[in-house]
Amino acid sequence: MAILEWIRFLVGAAFLLGGLTVFGIELFGVFHYKYVLNRMHAAALGDTLGIALCMLGLVIFSGFNFTSVKMILVVVFLWFASPVASHMVARFEVSTNEEIEKECEIDKGEE
Amino acid sequence: MSRLLSEEEYRKTKAYRMKRWYHGDKDPYISKVEMKPQKPFKEDVELQRKRLHDELILNQRIYDVEHNNKILAFRKFYRFISVIFVAALMAILLYMVSYLPPTGDATNPDNNEVAAKYIEDGMADTGAVNIVTGMILDYRAFDTLGESNVLFIATCAVLILLRLDKNEKTDTTKEEEEENDRLYEPKNDIILQKVAFFLVPLIIIFGIYVILNGHISPGGGFSGGAIIGAGLILYLNAFGFQKTERFFTQKTYKWICFVALSFYCLAKTYSFYCGAHHLETGIPLGTPGDIISAGLILPLNICVGLVVACTMYAFYAMFRKGGF
Repeated sequence: MAILEWIRFLVGAAFLLGGLTVFGIELFGVFHYKYVLNRMHAAALGDTLGIALCMLGLVIFSGFNFTSVKMILVVVFLWFASPVASHMVARFEVSTNEEIEKECEIDKGEE
Repeated sequence: MSRLLSEEEYRKTKAYRMKRWYHGDKDPYISKVEMKPQKPFKEDVELQRKRLHDELILNQRIYDVEHNNKILAFRKFYRFISVIFVAALMAILLYMVSYLPPTGDATNPDNNEVAAKYIEDGMADTGAVNIVTGMILDYRAFDTLGESNVLFIATCAVLILLRLDKNEKTDTTKEEEEENDRLYEPKNDIILQKVAFFLVPLIIIFGIYVILNGHISPGGGFSGGAIIGAGLILYLNAFGFQKTERFFTQKTYKWICFVALSFYCLAKTYSFYCGAHHLETGIPLGTPGDIISAGLILPLNICVGLVVACTMYAFYAMFRKGGF
């Protein structure tokens, strides 16, 4: 059984480290880019993939119990909320920025 | 209605004036204290040129900044002394920190009979499993009443400052509405609406769960109320003011806060006067761990939660549109 414990630890640690790497990339992107849409793209990365990988690692560590169900619920909630928040930020940027053509191409057929 | 005074004499009394002021017939400030809008600050070009010139002359001729050794020495001395002062202050404070007792030592002064009493007798006295809730809503309930009142008073102050009069001017064109940030509302967004349709009930149910379990598990009125308020704000953002005004207006806010705060006040007054230590209040404590237990703590938690949720929503609506 010690081997099984070791495998569990290694898999969990791999997921956790992967999640932390995604968070690192997110932080780099948020401070590297200057324009709001690019930064938003980078910030949404951590809220979806990063949090999911971290929580998966923690679920593997703790086994299947009530705590891990709560962690999965956190991921579900964030997967619902975060993309919608990004969508609203992008929408308001497009509708309020008067010089949007300087920053990116937009499809004028919409709205 | 019978009056001892005649009509003319009654009109001279303070009670009559008070009544007129209360009914809004007369505003005592009109034509006595005038409120004038502040004039925009505009500086004359000639005056500005003169002021700059004067400053230059003052620095050059009188203080003689470039050649005056006294002023130069004073400026250097000032910088030097300020650095020394800050460093000395830091050193003294750090030195004093080393005299603080170590963390977790049994002889520390904070390890006294108050904390021991809360931990040992908390569950027997209040009936709450969560000692923190037992503390803030039973032993120190008066403090929590003050906190909820602070929230209510803060909303009143924001209402005074930000509220828009309804009868100001309502006929605005569509361009003006889009220019005005207060009136501009986002167009219906189908993605946000679908997600809010799914998420808002979950958020509000979770908030209710946190409030109702305040005396059993971590949570309580303040945190649960904040969660419900967040859910209401999400609903408002998704569906706009027209939908929320069907069930939540200024009147609802006033009544909810009034009823919750006065119930809190009366219930706690009763238990302070009749239920001090070793006296019988007649409110059963129940079995610790049940939902309906712990005497007054559950209703008081609900009151605090209602006030907090309404305050969150009211703040948001006020800063967004100036009224709700």
